[in-house]
Amino acid sequence: MKVCWQLWLQLFRRMPTLVVLSALFAAGAVFFASQWLRGEARMGVPAAMLFVGATWIWHVGQGMNLRGLCVAESFLLPGFRRRLLEYGAVDAAIWVLLPLVLVMLLKLPHVALIACGLLLMTALGLLMGCNPRVGMWVWPMFIVLGWVPALAAQLLRDAVDSTLTPLLMLAVAALLLKLGITPLLRIEDRETGRSPMESTGLERGQLRGAPGEPTRMGIFGKRIGALYDQTSQRAMQRALRAYKSRPDFSRRMVLVRRLLLPHDNPEAIVLRIALVAVFVCFYFFAVMHRQRFQPAIIGAYAVMLSVSRFPQLNLGLTRMRPNMADLYLTLAPETRAEYQKTISDALLVLIPISTLSALVYTSLGAVLVHALDPWHMLLVAAIVAASASMAALALHLIGPEGKSGRTIVNIVVLLGVMAAYWGGYWLVGEFGYLAGGGVLALITLSFGFGAWFAAQREYQQRAPRFDAPII
Amino acid sequence: MSASNPAAAPTAAMPHLDRATTVLQVRGLHKSFKQRQVLTALDWNVPAGRVVGLLGRNGAGKTTLLRCLLGLSPIDGGAIELFGQPMLEPGGERMHRIGFVPQTFDLFPWMKVRAYLDFTAAFYARWDTALVERLLSDWELDAKQKIGELSQGQRQKLAIVRAIAPDPDLLVLDEPVASLDPQARRAFMGELVALMRAPGKTVIFSTHITADLERADADIALLRDGRIQFTRPLAELRDRMKRVVLQRTGGWPHAPVVAGALKTHVQGELATLLVEDPSIDSLHALAAREDAQVRIETPTLEDLFVELA
Repeated sequence: MKVCWQLWLQLFRRMPTLVVLSALFAAGAVFFASQWLRGEARMGVPAAMLFVGATWIWHVGQGMNLRGLCVAESFLLPGFRRRLLEYGAVDAAIWVLLPLVLVMLLKLPHVALIACGLLLMTALGLLMGCNPRVGMWVWPMFIVLGWVPALAAQLLRDAVDSTLTPLLMLAVAALLLKLGITPLLRIEDRETGRSPMESTGLERGQLRGAPGEPTRMGIFGKRIGALYDQTSQRAMQRALRAYKSRPDFSRRMVLVRRLLLPHDNPEAIVLRIALVAVFVCFYFFAVMHRQRFQPAIIGAYAVMLSVSRFPQLNLGLTRMRPNMADLYLTLAPETRAEYQKTISDALLVLIPISTLSALVYTSLGAVLVHALDPWHMLLVAAIVAASASMAALALHLIGPEGKSGRTIVNIVVLLGVMAAYWGGYWLVGEFGYLAGGGVLALITLSFGFGAWFAAQREYQQRAPRFDAPII
Repeated sequence: MSASNPAAAPTAAMPHLDRATTVLQVRGLHKSFKQRQVLTALDWNVPAGRVVGLLGRNGAGKTTLLRCLLGLSPIDGGAIELFGQPMLEPGGERMHRIGFVPQTFDLFPWMKVRAYLDFTAAFYARWDTALVERLLSDWELDAKQKIGELSQGQRQKLAIVRAIAPDPDLLVLDEPVASLDPQARRAFMGELVALMRAPGKTVIFSTHITADLERADADIALLRDGRIQFTRPLAELRDRMKRVVLQRTGGWPHAPVVAGALKTHVQGELATLLVEDPSIDSLHALAAREDAQVRIETPTLEDLFVELA
């Protein structure tokens, strides 16, 4: 039991917020269940829903925790796999058996269905925590059911009455557990390390691993990674050749950019846009059953997608700090401020890249939903994306290094983007392209430029740091 | 001008090694990364109760070999037996008897030192809490600090504490002292020697600091070209390997030929040879024939490593 206790503690130590959230859901479930037991029949559904939510959240956390624990060295711990199995049994007893005993004591119907449903929810949570990439493939089922809600409701009614449903749920739960846990129990050679500043466009559905946690990529991920690496190599070679033929400031800056931002060369940008376009097309395909689309929401989402590149900047620059000393010595700047300016100038290229990406995503959205006024969407997207990119770059360049601080900055940027896009869309709609667009540009771009110049000045005044980050 | 004779590298194992109980047995081990072959048909026996220093140049495959031995890296061919059982994957009761210090310890940065040690201790049948407390105190490791906040050297110390606390019968250490300061290195070697006093304890460690191997009176295993070239006790290496320096006025038109020469290096008047089991009489005869002076020296382990690796 000592091991079970230690494994259980890990979740509290690593993800206390998730534990609190799960506990709140569970407490809510207990509250509504007590009301239901007192005779309030309608309280039964929220009680069940909240308990399912608590189960799901808890097991997403357990999955994420397992991802961190299942490194090759952990398998040297005596009986590691067996202990995990024992812990799984204890967990199942708490989250499946215990509620089931309650269900039986209360003589509720559909005991087998409830048991298998709880097990399924547990497995789903674990899969999403352990293997988010595979977890994403669960959603298409719900999406397909969303297309035909009447059929889904009918299916649900029939499923409740069918004796085969629990068996099916059991089989699906077993499959999900296998998909989630098997890759973690495999011992593989470590993948070669990647630059913390890389951006493939594939990570958006994933959780960034802790340092030391092995990166687990599927065959598709490895192929795409190799494609990106090829583009980076070619871009670096081109930049080197250009610099050797005529060494000047701008070519030197291109070299610095190729080093700092390996996936922000033209070929890689096209590849990233193509990949994101595939996901966007899939999304629109999934929600086609909806009759109405809000252009403001689509545009805001496109801009959010493009500025989602910036949070990586803060984290990446922090993780790259020890290696930046090499760059500093290579550049041999006259002053430290000159070096800081070089870095901030090199990163400036992210603003046009992000704006261009937002325009491409917005165009794609406009085409897919047959938007009535695509130019309206594009104009607002161009203005908001440019200013939001400047603000995001500024915030992440000098922003907080801590996890909480970074999260707050991300939320502020995303909420700001949404508000700016919706407000801007309304403004242009009300006052026309010239007046509305002019006012929007004046407000947002002046804010963006202001934030950027202030951040750049602050960054240049700071001393460069090359110490290893405290994780 | 220098010439080496890899075929003549010492390959024989000491007779007493064969008599001892074998802790580790490797047969025909192959391991490659993509197209690069790192270990090629590697055979190796490690008897119980010895300290074995694994030497090899950078990129020779020491880390890969140690990880393969423990099942931490999948192998492409061959067989590994640890404590008499095939090592298909790390598992079974024998894991209670194994301690491992990786080359870099970058695991679980979110855990505090105490939590990490408690977590690990829960898995082991034996755990020397008193030793852990003493080492934490002696090595100035703050139990309340997060692993992610420790320096590389401190992490290495923690990894060593964690590895020796279960009182393992086999301790595998991958460059354990690389990040340690001289005091910590000396303290670590002291702990290692103390651990080795108990009967049946075996230590395999890779290092480039040959002085540590000399201090531990280790058997030396040389990894080169994907194979273990030899495993021999240090004393035997010292006894049998000699550096022969021949000095001849007017220089050497061609390198002198000496039976048992593993490496020959000619520069100006000096011809320096690394010779296994040299015949003193033959050397003097050669010197007289060539009108040269002969000097026979005992090389240091570092000299041997430089010549043989």
